[in-house]
Amino acid sequence: MGRSVVHAVMIMSDKIKPEPVNPPAGEVGVQVPEWLGNRLRRLFDDVMDEPVPDEFQSLLKQLEEKERGA
Amino acid sequence: MTGADLFLDQITALLPALRAFGRSLCGDPARADDLAQDTVLKAWANREQFQAGSNLKAWLFTILRNCYYSELRHRKFEVEDPDGVNAARLAIAPDHDAKLQLRDLNRALQQLPPDQREALVLVAATGLSYEEAADVCQVAVGTIKSRIARARDRLVELLGADAALVGEPSLPESSIDLPG
Repeated sequence: MGRSVVHAVMIMSDKIKPEPVNPPAGEVGVQVPEWLGNRLRRLFDDVMDEPVPDEFQSLLKQLEEKERGA
Repeated sequence: MTGADLFLDQITALLPALRAFGRSLCGDPARADDLAQDTVLKAWANREQFQAGSNLKAWLFTILRNCYYSELRHRKFEVEDPDGVNAARLAIAPDHDAKLQLRDLNRALQQLPPDQREALVLVAATGLSYEEAADVCQVAVGTIKSRIARARDRLVELLGADAALVGEPSLPESSIDLPG
C-alpha cells in the first residue's frame, strides 16, 4: 500500500514538470498569481521541449551555404 | 567560425522559444512554424541591423510578432478559428489533469485579444522583463502592465475561480515519507 502511494508520487512527478530552477516570476509574480504563472510557463516549456522540425535545419543549412557561396 | 555562423548558431538555439512564442500568439502549431520560419528568413536578411550584445531573443520575438500582425491584417476578413478547432488540436489525447489544465489554459489564451495575450506570454512565460516586452510590442511599460492585468483577470474569469484550487498538484507530506 505504502509502496503504491510512493509509486504514484513518482509517476506524477515524472509527468508534471518541477518548478523551473530560476522562475522568471520576479516582477510579474506581483501581477500574476503563482498558479497561473506556473501554468503559462508549463504551456510554453512544453513546446520548447518538442524537437525542432527538420525543415528548420534545412532552412538554416541553406542560409549557411548561401553565405559560404557568397 | 565566422560572425554569420555564430549568428545562425544563436538563432538555432532560440528556435524552440520562437516556435513556442509563435504558437502562443496564433494557437496553431503549423501556422506558428510558418511564422518562425519567416522570422528566421527576415532575421537573416536584416542581420546587419541587429546590434551585437543586445537581446537576440527579444529581437527575434519582435520580428515574429510583426510577421504575425501583418498576416493578421491580410486575413482580417477571415474569422480566426471560430470554433476553437486549432486551440483544441493543440492538446492531443489529454491523459491527465495537468494536460487538461494546459488545454484549458490554451483555449482561454486564444480568447484574449492579441495585445493582452502577447503581453502576458512575453512576461509571464518567456521570461522577458517588462521593459523588454515593452520594446517588443513598441508600447510603454505601463501599457504592458495594464494589458497583463486585463489578461490575468479574463483568464481567472475563463478558467473559473476554482482554477487556483485545483491548480498545482499537491500531496500531503505524509504520503511522500512513506517507507519504500
